[in-house]
Amino acid sequence: MTSSNPPTGQPGVPVLEVRNISKSYGGAKALEGVSLALQAGHVHCLAGENGCGKSTLIKIISGAERPDGGEIFIDGKPHPFMTPSQAIKEGIQVIYQDFSLFPNLTVAENIVLTSVVAKRSKVFSAGKNRPAAEHIVKELGLTLDLDKDVERLSVADKQLTAICRALVSEARVIIMDEPTTALTHSEVARLFGIVRKLQDRGVALVFVSHKLEEALQVSQDLTILRNGIHVVSGPTTGFDRRSLIKHMTGRAVNETRLITSPQLEERPVLSVRSLSVSGAFHDVAFDLHRGEILGITGLLGSGRSEIAESLFGVLPADSGTVEVEGKTVRIRSIDDAIRAGIGYVPEDRLTQGLFLEKSIADNIIAGSVDKHRRGPILLDSGKVSSSIRRLFDQLRIKAPNVLAPVRSLSGGNAQRVVLAKWLANQPKVLMLNGPTVGVDVGSKEEILAVLREQAGNGMGVLVISDDVPELVTVCNRVLIVRQGAVVDVLEGDAVNGTAIEELMAA
Amino acid sequence: MAQTKNQPDLHTPGGFNARIDNGMGAMLGRLTRDRSVVRMLVLLVAAFAFFTLLRPSIFLNPLNLENIAVSAPEIGILAIAMMLAMLTGGIDLSVVAIANFTAITITTLYAGLAAGNPGQANSLLPLILLLGLALAAVAGWFNGFLIGVVGITPILATLATMQILNGIAVVWTGGQTLYGAPEALSVIAKTTIVGVPVLFLFFLLIAVVVAVLVNVTPLGLKLQLQGANPVAARYSGIGSRRVLTSTYVTSGLLGGLAGIVFIARNPTASADYGSSYVLLVIVIAVLGGTNPAGGFATVAGVVLATLTLQVVSSGFNALRLSAYEYSIAQGVILIAVMIADQMRFRSRRRKRDLQPPVPAAPETQGKS
Repeated sequence: MTSSNPPTGQPGVPVLEVRNISKSYGGAKALEGVSLALQAGHVHCLAGENGCGKSTLIKIISGAERPDGGEIFIDGKPHPFMTPSQAIKEGIQVIYQDFSLFPNLTVAENIVLTSVVAKRSKVFSAGKNRPAAEHIVKELGLTLDLDKDVERLSVADKQLTAICRALVSEARVIIMDEPTTALTHSEVARLFGIVRKLQDRGVALVFVSHKLEEALQVSQDLTILRNGIHVVSGPTTGFDRRSLIKHMTGRAVNETRLITSPQLEERPVLSVRSLSVSGAFHDVAFDLHRGEILGITGLLGSGRSEIAESLFGVLPADSGTVEVEGKTVRIRSIDDAIRAGIGYVPEDRLTQGLFLEKSIADNIIAGSVDKHRRGPILLDSGKVSSSIRRLFDQLRIKAPNVLAPVRSLSGGNAQRVVLAKWLANQPKVLMLNGPTVGVDVGSKEEILAVLREQAGNGMGVLVISDDVPELVTVCNRVLIVRQGAVVDVLEGDAVNGTAIEELMAA
Repeated sequence: MAQTKNQPDLHTPGGFNARIDNGMGAMLGRLTRDRSVVRMLVLLVAAFAFFTLLRPSIFLNPLNLENIAVSAPEIGILAIAMMLAMLTGGIDLSVVAIANFTAITITTLYAGLAAGNPGQANSLLPLILLLGLALAAVAGWFNGFLIGVVGITPILATLATMQILNGIAVVWTGGQTLYGAPEALSVIAKTTIVGVPVLFLFFLLIAVVVAVLVNVTPLGLKLQLQGANPVAARYSGIGSRRVLTSTYVTSGLLGGLAGIVFIARNPTASADYGSSYVLLVIVIAVLGGTNPAGGFATVAGVVLATLTLQVVSSGFNALRLSAYEYSIAQGVILIAVMIADQMRFRSRRRKRDLQPPVPAAPETQGKS
């Protein structure tokens, strides 16, 4: 595998090829007729919006999911039933966004452990295996401290550890799932340097991304998916930003701001001053008015989520003051936050937001059970069902009925259920972390419309997101968070995609 | 059975689908609940028919039927208590110990008073019963405190409480069986209304009350949600301390009521009464459709499961089989029901996974 095979642009037999892959879950088609050919030494960019089927395709390539139809070839040989262990044996490695590392082990151990396990060694000897780790780190010219515990690494170094691990396992195909989401500009540049070294080693890379500039910059080949359908494939040189957007979204991009300028009251509904949580963020201050939608953005790990969690009492602040409608509130627990009139739609919808096995009805009422009492003991079942009905209709949740389990819903509908749960509680301030992550385009616009409507009705809305177009279309103002500090506030015309991206990753 | 569509979210990067698939296991609980009541009803009728056919004269004897109706309540009430704890995703190993502790307290107090002044003892009986129940509630509160506030795993917290209460009971009674439980209770226990023993009606009353608690009170809803997903419950502002404390106080109280039924049925009390009940009660709760992982349970299912096992027990008696053979039967029934669930679950899954691959069309690279 070390034989150098520089990118020539003259494709031979693809290292890995999938043809006409289709896959559906339940009734929903995730992929239909998707084909992809990976050349040794090439970077192949797989692009598309959230939910276009990128993840499903990766899972099929790595053997984690079995396609309903289509063929997989490795070095031209068909592999009808790919399993995860087979994929690894053939040198296919996926680096997921969470890197799947063991936080309590050292860098060296993480790099070699999986390959040792794959060899079915019964005994692990750190001493014997360490040279392999050292070798790979040196070969890539990295400065990684091999003896540091992985949990103490930066996101970028964790990623490099995962890359080294893939190489130790003799990877010929490395698939990187959204590798740049959590990286700063300089880290992205370093990653691209590594990517070129991997190309020189003859590795075929798949770069999954929805960041257009990166896609154009790093890849030789490009495939775009939209709604599970293979839209286009070809050499990257044949595309530019505009044509990419058109292929990805199926229409010209819409980054127009659709905001109203509410008459701001003098007194903010939420006022935060010098809020700090050690290790997460410090001296955060901002005001949010009724009717306003305020965005908070930053890279993964910048502290953007922690600010919201602190205001919701999950991560009580070490210092600082919070005022709701002019009254100072102490938020030490979720209960405190809810009592103060703050609601939170969490980032991790599946575990934090929803009771997946429970019905839509139970989920909608979950946050406001005590507001639906009749007498000291009983629930007011009439009021319960009318609340549920009202929100179910208002948010246009698509389900056969309110008794359907939330598990059966799509991402967009599931998110509406979480939203409904909070609207039932009528908070003064609603914070949403990644409100449209994993939500299809149609639902996305409807959810954003709901936020505008709620703001219009006098709610203060806080949107924590790294989805730049979303921030641009919905937010009156945007706070930029970098390394735990609010470094900038954009307002009015200054709220635009380029400005936000620049400031986030600077 | 409602058709549960498994339609994972297709719109997110980062393992959405994988997590949905991992969560499939949890769906077992759902399927169990949906079917549990019907299934238990079928099992009950089948067991009844089976023993009726084998030993009609003994089994259909009114005395035998009455026996089933009188012995079911104590186990049933304990099983409902267990169900409540399991509904929150926990377990209460101490319910039987609480029942015994209550029985011993009441018997000791009553016998002590009655030795001096029987009339006074009888007039104070309601107070004595209340005191017994109060102790049971305190024991339950202690469980709730350990689990909800201190954060000890339910199985360990209630194991500790069970050991403590059992220990106290043995030390207190010196391991002896106590006699002299209130006669008034025995009299009530022997009463029937339209041929139905009062104890059985009492059991049904408790079942209805708990069913109301679980289904149409804020506490019941929170309890189910807490069990279904404690993290989401926390993020929804459901105070787990309050919910867990209330749950274990209630299961403690139910344990206390079972203790009163103990001495009503059999006017003695001892530290080792019903020592085999703990596991039996877990079996019944799970058979009745309670998901041990929490979030789902039906009182009706638990009541039917109680009756089913009582029918089997009594049938085994009629066939002159021993308690040990009955114990084998319990295990077999539990495993059989669980396997039935698994098989249905797996076959659904296989169908989903193994759709035959569609023959691929040749070469479709670069559609642009």
